[in-house]
Amino acid sequence: MRKAIGQGLDGAKRSFYWAWDHKIRVVVLALVLVLLAPQPVKTQFIDPCCAIMGAGLSSISSTLSNVIGGGLSGILSIERNIFDFERDIVWPQRLIDEAKGLVGSIQGIYAQIESVTQIAVNSATLASTQQLEQNLLSRDSAQIGQTGGYYTAVYGPVPGATSAPVEVRNVIDMTDAVAQAAMKRAIEIDHLATLELEAAERINRSIQRAAPGSAPIIEAQAAAWLIRANAYTQAATADLMRVRAIDLAGAAADVKSGAMYNSALGQQLIDLLKRQ
Amino acid sequence: MTIAFFLLFSWLMVTTKSRRQVVAVTLVGTVGAALIAPRPAMAQLSLTGAIQAVLDIVNGSIQAALDSINAVRSAISAFYQRLVWPVNLINQARAQITQMIGQYRQRMRDIFESDVGSATLAATGQLEAVMRNKQTSDFNAVTTYFRNAFGPIPADTAASPEDRAMTDMDDALALGSLKTLKASDAAVDLTLDAADQLEDAASEAAPGSAPFLTAAAVVASIQSQALTQKMLAAELRQEAARVAHGNSERKRLATNTNRLGDQIINLLKRN
Repeated sequence: MRKAIGQGLDGAKRSFYWAWDHKIRVVVLALVLVLLAPQPVKTQFIDPCCAIMGAGLSSISSTLSNVIGGGLSGILSIERNIFDFERDIVWPQRLIDEAKGLVGSIQGIYAQIESVTQIAVNSATLASTQQLEQNLLSRDSAQIGQTGGYYTAVYGPVPGATSAPVEVRNVIDMTDAVAQAAMKRAIEIDHLATLELEAAERINRSIQRAAPGSAPIIEAQAAAWLIRANAYTQAATADLMRVRAIDLAGAAADVKSGAMYNSALGQQLIDLLKRQ
Repeated sequence: MTIAFFLLFSWLMVTTKSRRQVVAVTLVGTVGAALIAPRPAMAQLSLTGAIQAVLDIVNGSIQAALDSINAVRSAISAFYQRLVWPVNLINQARAQITQMIGQYRQRMRDIFESDVGSATLAATGQLEAVMRNKQTSDFNAVTTYFRNAFGPIPADTAASPEDRAMTDMDDALALGSLKTLKASDAAVDLTLDAADQLEDAASEAAPGSAPFLTAAAVVASIQSQALTQKMLAAELRQEAARVAHGNSERKRLATNTNRLGDQIINLLKRN
């Protein structure tokens, strides 16, 4: 035991002498040891910093749940209220589906109407009149080119220059022109009406696929088509009025030319009788 | 890591022989120690300040923002329910439609369906009945009754080809119009059915389903307009044929008058 203590004392003495001889190395080692030494850990119960942090976090938690949680739950309640209102009152799915179903049903009615309008109404019995009638009922504006020929075959040409006075020939030609134009317009209007019915069917199909937000866009397109259809109706009405106007003018022209012709014929007869 | 570094550094420091080696090991050691040394802890005073700052933000700007959002959403909700889609006005609109259906629909139907037939003879009564029955399956009967009332096309020995052609064309277009009108009458009834269905649906519609009905109604208007155009086209054909007929007679009259005048003058000249 005594020997061991003596050896320990000797070792310590040697270390002390070595350290005395190597002061710089010892200082450097001490410095590095200080740098590397781990920092002290703070205990939860004794250190005041942890208590402050605990109180702070608790305060933050309470504030978050009261201020942010309360505010968010208020917003959620209003949002739910708005959602319920929009779902039940503004855009109820059942009524939207019913409306779409009705659009299909209306389309069915118009398909029925269209099939009724396709039934042939031709009634002419002679070859020349059948040609003209077929042309007039063709609903094909590409056939307008043949209307003039078929018309002349039924109603005759404008008399030659030696067969009638120029005034009468003018009235005849003008009347024929307006009658032919009206017939051509009738073919055009029939063709346009067929295209409008086709477009209406397409628009109806797109309404059935639409959403409440897109239906007004389709409605706007339909409204544009309606305006267009109104314009074509106006054009047809205009041609009808033209036919009647020329008819009236023709009746007046007949009276005028009759009076002139009678007067000229009477004068010629008087001249002849005087000569005899 | 730190312990291993310190043990290695201590061993090197003890075992170095020269002063130069000591300096080198010292330099390397201090740089290494500076790199792996733990960072200093924060002071207690700055922690309290940070917590307070968080609380201030939550109680200040975040609470104010949430209050504002809440106020705006409440205003939007009230705006929707009181101004844009007030339930009482929606119900009022539906009730008005139902009331008007009751008030007008049957009354107008009764007016429209009152009998306007006026023929007194058997032949004309048949024609009148068939041309007003709104059927599209009896077009042959229209032709038969039409011929009974207005007579057939003259035989080729009884009239000139021009007269036969014109009367045939006149009859054809008149018959065509009568048949078209039978189809139009049928279409009118179907169109009225469509209008009734749309109005019924409108009486139960919601603001979100009404645009579908409006769009369908506009499309139905296009279709009605197309049918009106078909009727107008028939009228145009008929009017044009009437004018053409008159003009054709004018052509013949002009030619005949010219010929007659020449003949009279020639006769008088001979005497």
